[in-house]
Amino acid sequence: MDRPENVGELADTLRQGGYLADRGLATALFVAIRMHRPVLLEGEVGVGKTEVAKVLAAVFGRRLIRLQCYEGIEVSQALYEWDYARQMLHIRALSERQIADSDAVDKLFGPKFLLERPLLEAVRAGERAVLLIDEVDRADDEFEAFLLEVLSDFQISIPEIGTIKADSPPIVILTSNRTRELHDALKRRCLYHWIGYPPPDRETEIVLLKEPGVGAALTRKVVAAVNRLRELDLAKPPGVAETIDWARTLHFLGETDLSQAAASDTLGAVVKERDDLELVRDNLADITSGG
Amino acid sequence: MAENSGWLRTPVAERDPIIRLLVRFGSELRAAGLAVGSGDIMSYCAAMTELDPADLADLYWAGRTVLVCRRDDIGVYDRVFRRFFLGDDDQAAELLQLNAAAASRVSQAALVLPAAEPEPGERSEEAVAGLMASDVQTLRHRSFAACTPDELAAVRRIMARIRLTRPLRRTRRTAPARRGSAPDLRRMVRRSMRMHGEPAELCWRARKARPRPLILILDVSGSMADYSRNLLQFAYSARRAAARVEVFCFGTRLTRITRELDHRRPDDALAKAARTVFDWEGGTRIGASLESFVREWGRRGLCRGGVVAICSDGLDRGDPATLAAAMERLSRLSYRIIWLNPHKGTDPAFRPSTLGMMVAAPHIDLLLSGHDLASLEELATLLPSIN
Repeated sequence: MDRPENVGELADTLRQGGYLADRGLATALFVAIRMHRPVLLEGEVGVGKTEVAKVLAAVFGRRLIRLQCYEGIEVSQALYEWDYARQMLHIRALSERQIADSDAVDKLFGPKFLLERPLLEAVRAGERAVLLIDEVDRADDEFEAFLLEVLSDFQISIPEIGTIKADSPPIVILTSNRTRELHDALKRRCLYHWIGYPPPDRETEIVLLKEPGVGAALTRKVVAAVNRLRELDLAKPPGVAETIDWARTLHFLGETDLSQAAASDTLGAVVKERDDLELVRDNLADITSGG
Repeated sequence: MAENSGWLRTPVAERDPIIRLLVRFGSELRAAGLAVGSGDIMSYCAAMTELDPADLADLYWAGRTVLVCRRDDIGVYDRVFRRFFLGDDDQAAELLQLNAAAASRVSQAALVLPAAEPEPGERSEEAVAGLMASDVQTLRHRSFAACTPDELAAVRRIMARIRLTRPLRRTRRTAPARRGSAPDLRRMVRRSMRMHGEPAELCWRARKARPRPLILILDVSGSMADYSRNLLQFAYSARRAAARVEVFCFGTRLTRITRELDHRRPDDALAKAARTVFDWEGGTRIGASLESFVREWGRRGLCRGGVVAICSDGLDRGDPATLAAAMERLSRLSYRIIWLNPHKGTDPAFRPSTLGMMVAAPHIDLLLSGHDLASLEELATLLPSIN
């Protein structure tokens, strides 16, 4: 499929790809695809922000191009870089053989010596790609400025070559964990969607979709327990990814019920801080009871 | 969704009322404080041509994805949306006329959508109640007289000093430098071209330094009433001076006032911040407030590698265990914790006597006084030494 006709169709397509999007997310993605706008996804950790891009790429048969942001990321790692070693060798070869002509320098800064990095790659690939700019908030704020041109016009200006523009733009997904507030200039260019924790029955559905082997009864119990964990004051509340992990772990160990002992043994799949572990162990009976 | 194509075929004149409605909705949002530009409203209209304007869920979600760009604004958006499209004023009636057929079709699910975000919604609901001037609420507000020339001078001094002496941290980002750790190949290639390809000199890149985030957490409860004006002035100065400064207030609960302080004129900024905080001169729950800071902001990395300055007398009415736990977590999340206790005054031999202070003491790196603007200036000068 090339592009969806309506929100429902997109949601169905995503479901076939193993992703359950609610109405809001499906609408945001639908508008993004139809209007060629990037989407900025924010939300708690482990609610499937990155997964959206992967599934979009899979269901639309596009290539996923991923730019993982980190502190200190530079233009040369995100947009393009010149192949200096080859340039240097080329210069030497030219001067030794005395064959430098007027084109020589032009060639030196031509496509042959240009190394593509994810953003340039995505602009070149155009509609055959889904560009995932993951965890933008991890890059320092100077870096956001490099993204602006790409996000608003899907083009990249390289001083030595000129402007490279996408014929038809790729789908662009940005994710952020809100470790810092992003600049308004960046947000203005994007659609915005906040992904929260899904309601319990939806989360059950997600786990069953991801791990069909796990029984429905066990899944419901795990989801109920995770929801109770989220109500506790944990330093790091479990996301949907943790719920899936937990269900998978229990299933792997051959458990069919979330007993207190089984929960205690597998707690490491959901609770990942020492203080939290203590708090959870004190309340374990409460958390595993009912379903 | 079926009406989608039909709506597109209708001539512009008939579509106009919807566009006018969307534009008016946009200006309502703007009036409620969201930054909604004309471009955003155009995007909203364009998005609605792809969707079904008679479907309330489409109206809601398209607006939310286009017009809202931060989580904190979702509550405000929900409120305005509910009032505008579902509310009890004339506009709703007009819409129902407009979409008479759709009105019956509007699913119950769409109506509960806004309620799915209870937390921010609840807060903004309260905010409105406060702004709409119920007497009980306003009693607890505080207004400040305009700044005196002396105070303005102090504000300027603090700003200048903070600009000069922010605590710095080495980043992973590099810049060209005379001496450095990594060769700057780009520059070397460029230079060598002048020399017929002979790499004549070595160029280097070195890691840059950038200011650490500074987080001010101000106690505005009753026992701190005498100092809150100066604290706010200090917060304003710090915020104006450096980009990575966050300001929070607490009495019985935590309020973020960073954005409110972003006014050019100090009087405006202080007035706006004063309106935002609800628990002026009430009780103190330091532990609970710090805990909610850690939970809502600290955990997300707001204070990671940063300097946290807490301004309070330590008279806590909550459980000391809560305060101890919150301080411990905070000390692990941040780089340094400074505590400003106005009761310290100029006494160098001051030992904290309140229970709150004693509980917090093991986690404090630096204890200062901060009882007037002069002593707050002292904090500004001390910032670099904590590096």
